[in-house]
Amino acid sequence: MAILNVNATRMALLTLKKKIKSAKRGHKLLKDKQDGLMQKFMEVIREAKAVREEVEQKLGAAFKNFIRANSLMEEEMLEGALLYSTAKTELKVETKNVMSVRIPHFKLETEGEVVSYGFLQTSGELDIALQSFQDTFPLLIKLAEIEKSAEALAEELEKTRRRVNALEYRMIPDLKDTIKFIQMKLGEMERGAIINTMVVKAKIQAAA
Amino acid sequence: MGNYKIAIIGSRETILGFKALGLEPVYATNSSEAVESMFSLKREKMGAEGESRNKYAILFVMEDLMMDVTPDDYKKLTADPLPAIIPLPSHLGSTGYGLKKLKGIVERAVGMDILN
Repeated sequence: MAILNVNATRMALLTLKKKIKSAKRGHKLLKDKQDGLMQKFMEVIREAKAVREEVEQKLGAAFKNFIRANSLMEEEMLEGALLYSTAKTELKVETKNVMSVRIPHFKLETEGEVVSYGFLQTSGELDIALQSFQDTFPLLIKLAEIEKSAEALAEELEKTRRRVNALEYRMIPDLKDTIKFIQMKLGEMERGAIINTMVVKAKIQAAA
Repeated sequence: MGNYKIAIIGSRETILGFKALGLEPVYATNSSEAVESMFSLKREKMGAEGESRNKYAILFVMEDLMMDVTPDDYKKLTADPLPAIIPLPSHLGSTGYGLKKLKGIVERAVGMDILN
């Protein structure tokens, strides 16, 4: 309950009435946006959780293979073998617009062979490890895309929720109170004026 | 739209394998090093004159390095649409950091944790 700092005049009343109208419309729009965002967010977050769990499992296995390969081979040999890789990774990024949130969409383009070293001095574990890395890689990209989307959506949701609440619990009630206050004040002034006139009229009649 | 690069930040032995996949390896042994390199990778721009955009779209970071990143730094790092900073479990196994991060996101968006 707070009354805004305005003059109790007809002018102020008119502007306030306009303001409350647009505030209500804004509130409705924002509320719709919040609902839309929430719907999208729910979709994304469930997927994010599933993908993250899958990644953790697969990547753990891939790392184990790699560490095994690492321990079986000499450091220089391993690095040398990996230097021969002809794989090139390019990432194309498009952004989608969901409820004014920019969501990235990653498209992976790979070319070349990861396993292009001589087999003589390298261990078989390395092949397996690299293969598993390569297999999990698209999943990692997907994870990146989904998690980033979730993050962006969450941020926007938080902002929108604050705005909706500010309008619903602060701005609109305040405006309503102020409008009521001005209407009362104007009514009071009107009655005062009538009484004044009546008193003056009675005095004139009594004098006549 | 255009081509972006992917970088991976972590200890030497873990990220060697990713180097072979064509990712850019950045070595870091502790959190402060990782944060420093994340900031510098984030700052790297490319593109024709006039319009510049981030060089890296995704930064994969080993979970154990993300553990000690202050919330303040994390906020600064993830403020822009790109790059996406994604924690990955290292060879030491999952620490649960990634799922904790997801939980944090949900709590921020919904007001309570509704996963599980």
